[in-house]
Amino acid sequence: MKYVVLGASASGINGAQELRNLDKEAEITLISKDDKIYSRCILHHYMEGIRDVKKLEFVEDDFINKNNIKWIKNAEASKVDVQSKEVIISTGETVEFDKLLIATGANTFFPPIPNLKAAPNAIGFRNFDDCEKIMEMSKTCENIVVMGAGLVGIDVISGLIHTGKNIALVEMKDHMLSIQLDKKAALAYEKGFESKGVKQYYEKGIKELIVDEKGKITEISLTNGEKIPCDLLIVAAGVRSNVSFLEGSGIEIDKFGLLIDAFGKTNCEDIYGAGDVTGRNPIWPTAVKEGIIAANNMAGIKSEMTDFFASKSTMNFLGIPTLSLGINEPVDETYMVEIENDDRGNYKKIIHRDGKIYGAILQGDLSYAGVLTQLIRRQINISKVKKPIFKIDYSDFFNIKENFEFVYER
Amino acid sequence: MRRIKIDRSKCIGCLTCVTACVVSHESCDSRNRVTIDSKTKAAPIFCRHCDKPECVYTCMTGAMSKNKETGYVEYNKERCASCYMCIMACPYGVLKSDRIEYKEIMKCNMCVHRTEDNKPKPMCVEKCPMSAITLEEV
Repeated sequence: MKYVVLGASASGINGAQELRNLDKEAEITLISKDDKIYSRCILHHYMEGIRDVKKLEFVEDDFINKNNIKWIKNAEASKVDVQSKEVIISTGETVEFDKLLIATGANTFFPPIPNLKAAPNAIGFRNFDDCEKIMEMSKTCENIVVMGAGLVGIDVISGLIHTGKNIALVEMKDHMLSIQLDKKAALAYEKGFESKGVKQYYEKGIKELIVDEKGKITEISLTNGEKIPCDLLIVAAGVRSNVSFLEGSGIEIDKFGLLIDAFGKTNCEDIYGAGDVTGRNPIWPTAVKEGIIAANNMAGIKSEMTDFFASKSTMNFLGIPTLSLGINEPVDETYMVEIENDDRGNYKKIIHRDGKIYGAILQGDLSYAGVLTQLIRRQINISKVKKPIFKIDYSDFFNIKENFEFVYER
Repeated sequence: MRRIKIDRSKCIGCLTCVTACVVSHESCDSRNRVTIDSKTKAAPIFCRHCDKPECVYTCMTGAMSKNKETGYVEYNKERCASCYMCIMACPYGVLKSDRIEYKEIMKCNMCVHRTEDNKPKPMCVEKCPMSAITLEEV
């Protein structure tokens, strides 16, 4: 059996590993633009200098050899031929497959602002190369502007603070991390970054990029008319899935990305997909699970994705832990909001209605919060639990399987 | 592999296991817990070293990994980025970070550090006066 995996991040690597676990004899070829295996989620730690390249790896040492994988690095698929079952790669080579896993991920989205795409000093923060480029450019620049206050934007800021450069953040929404946090939880970070000298512009967009004769950005004009100096612009305004090489192949895509079913299969026989390339639920655990599930089905073991709850995240900026699940504000007045606060930086908020929890934010102490994830994801009715909502733990759902594992419903 | 079997009916909530855990790891926090449910019945909540470990799937640094030979879910604090995704992912609310620095995840290692040959030797099991927790093959 010849397996080909495109992409060497969460989905691709976990998919390849699972394929090897299930089939010791198979020929597994991994094709990736990346020449190293690294976790994108911790690139900002490399930028900050608290983690070296080796420690960006998220797999065991010598992973490729141990799993007997043929790895074609620095190459990307330029075409997939569904009929002849071949992948044509950027080096001109053709690689045959019996089964294919597409896990090519996503790339930085550059909004359609005039002068942005051509500017040599506008850069995304997604790949290792981006990270190195930013580190290099930040040595000589003075005024760094980050566009977008989502997790990626705040990651990059936390990686840059130690440089001592002027950093400004521009965000259309009225607070930081607006998908994950309410205003109160965001304020802890906003204040923290402010004390580190990060200038923050909320409810403002970029109206115009002022460039020099080489197309280099020198100044940014905001939607309120204000102008801010800029010699390095980091674009963190979302991503788009890497599916352009699939156009015309017969493999179905939509405006978000690659279309797969709950088994990871595309519309084409023997061709599977996983992770951010789908343009849906772009979080690490989903990518890992989809990679593993696709690999199982590729190897003939039926396996189905059942976990579609992806509005969940944790963060740790400036030493402040926060966890966010589901909605962060009540949708209407039928929802109830419980809040618990103290003066040591702990903030807890749970949004519920008719015995079910729809959202939660925990800041400070996150201990044992995994139960909350399940209560929301599984829409478990908690009315039978006679405890304060913040104290609910697994004891009221306690159940043991024959192999002594825990389980929710039997 | 061997798991810690929990016989909830025998548990009296004395917390000897919690103390044993703290002692074994010379830690200020325990890696297990005993809570009480709405009917005040004790529930020993211990890491199950799951066959399909959510904490491993969610870990973006490789700090949490499933040991294929022993079946145990191992935690490597040197690799950990203290991102807390595992705390959010553990369906049974077993995980937390250390209370002082919020840095290290309090993760059961089956007390393999207590033996020369990396075999499990959980102190909680040894000290439980009720035999509510026992080490058994699954």
